[in-house]
Amino acid sequence: MRNYFDILTILAEKDFKVRYRNSVLGFLWSLLNPLAYMAILTLVFSYLLRVSIPNFAGWLLVALLVWRFFSVGTAQGLFSIVSNPSLVSKVYVPRYMIVLSNNLANFLGSSLEFLVLLPLLLGLGVGLTVTALLLPILLVLEFLLVFALSLSLSALNVKYRDFYQLWDIALQLGFFLSPIVYSASLIPARFYFLYSLNPVTRLMEALRGIFLEHQLPTVFDMTVVLGSIILFLALGLLIFRRLEKGFAEEL
Amino acid sequence: MEDVWKRFRIPHEKRSTVLDHLAGALSVLEGKRYAYEEFWALKQVSFKLGEGESLGIIGPNGSGKSTLLKLIAGVMKPNAGTIRTEGGIAPVLELGIGFHGDLTVKENALIYGVLMGLHRSEMRKRTATILDFAGLTRFQDAKLKTLSSGMQVRLAFSIAIETEAEIFLVDEALAVGDMEFQQKCLDKFREFKKEKKTIVLVSHNMELIREFCEKTLYLLNGEVRAFGDSETTATRYIERT
Repeated sequence: MRNYFDILTILAEKDFKVRYRNSVLGFLWSLLNPLAYMAILTLVFSYLLRVSIPNFAGWLLVALLVWRFFSVGTAQGLFSIVSNPSLVSKVYVPRYMIVLSNNLANFLGSSLEFLVLLPLLLGLGVGLTVTALLLPILLVLEFLLVFALSLSLSALNVKYRDFYQLWDIALQLGFFLSPIVYSASLIPARFYFLYSLNPVTRLMEALRGIFLEHQLPTVFDMTVVLGSIILFLALGLLIFRRLEKGFAEEL
Repeated sequence: MEDVWKRFRIPHEKRSTVLDHLAGALSVLEGKRYAYEEFWALKQVSFKLGEGESLGIIGPNGSGKSTLLKLIAGVMKPNAGTIRTEGGIAPVLELGIGFHGDLTVKENALIYGVLMGLHRSEMRKRTATILDFAGLTRFQDAKLKTLSSGMQVRLAFSIAIETEAEIFLVDEALAVGDMEFQQKCLDKFREFKKEKKTIVLVSHNMELIREFCEKTLYLLNGEVRAFGDSETTATRYIERT
């Protein structure tokens, strides 16, 4: 029995330290990004375009944090193998651990962002209730989704070095295919079902539910999220298994 | 190790992007074939070591020595054949083990000790010994990138030595440390020999091979030219060159 747990935590710790340059200030910088985004988007949509969603700033913040967790997590997970050649070709570590530890570091960072920024909701006039306690469960689900996707993304990015460009475009598209700056009720009825199958959208709606509307996530939310996790995990394992044999030679 | 084969593909035009593959698919439609040459880095390599025996690997550059070490370490997989090892493996491949430059010397030592199989709590206790052996105690809180390459190899070596593995894979790394450090490592290797540990040594230094290795494998163009006791094998290699 090897020390797999220790390997996983020490690599996650390394990624976390490197990401925030080993300082509290590094973490504070990472909070500035979603805050600035919230301020700018609130200004544009709420004051210039006069979108009439109650408590727009808080409504936006929740979805922005969900989006940031997803987009930063998959974008960094995608590079996890390529940016750690020595872990692949100089020592033997089960390769999925390199991806998983990277995702864990991101999970920790994003959870901290939620914890530090959610009290802002109180300041924005949102009263939190017990439903807010479901946050950890939803964050774990989002983490699993990020991991499931990162498996295929990281392996494909080793074989096709420009793969990250495609994912970058997909993320830009994803930002507007999720109800971040607009309400899902604006989607025409005939596209609505297809639109609502997006697991990130489901997570956003579920989190808005528990914080702003004091409602539990719906069965539909949970089915779509869990279903996508299983689907992408199966696909990810298939692709990763196939491609990992070539990692040491391609790097 | 039984009947091990390892193939590399040398493409005439390297295709490593989605765009290349799309362009490549088009040229196939036009009747051009995807051109690459096959290169067998190891061909039908078989040998067996007894418990506590050490192995020297010799041969000219490009004969497959490092590839063989990587296969033993489990970093690469063979295209055919089987490799069996018993006991933990501590690899020191190709000059250092690839540290993270922005973290401190101590943090790097902790990470690589754990990657080589030690538990984190165990590693904390040993960090001082490791840094002392490497002669880097003074620099423990310095960022790793500020160390010279010789110092980094010393650190890699010192960690590998402390991991209590049964098999040490050493790829010419010994040549990099200074004289004093080399001497310290050789003393350590003598201790390992007494403890019946296995050292797999890739080297061009025949004296080292003769001293430490009972058996030696002579590789040429990926094929086993000779395998047997070190004295005879080393002499054959020297006669050929």
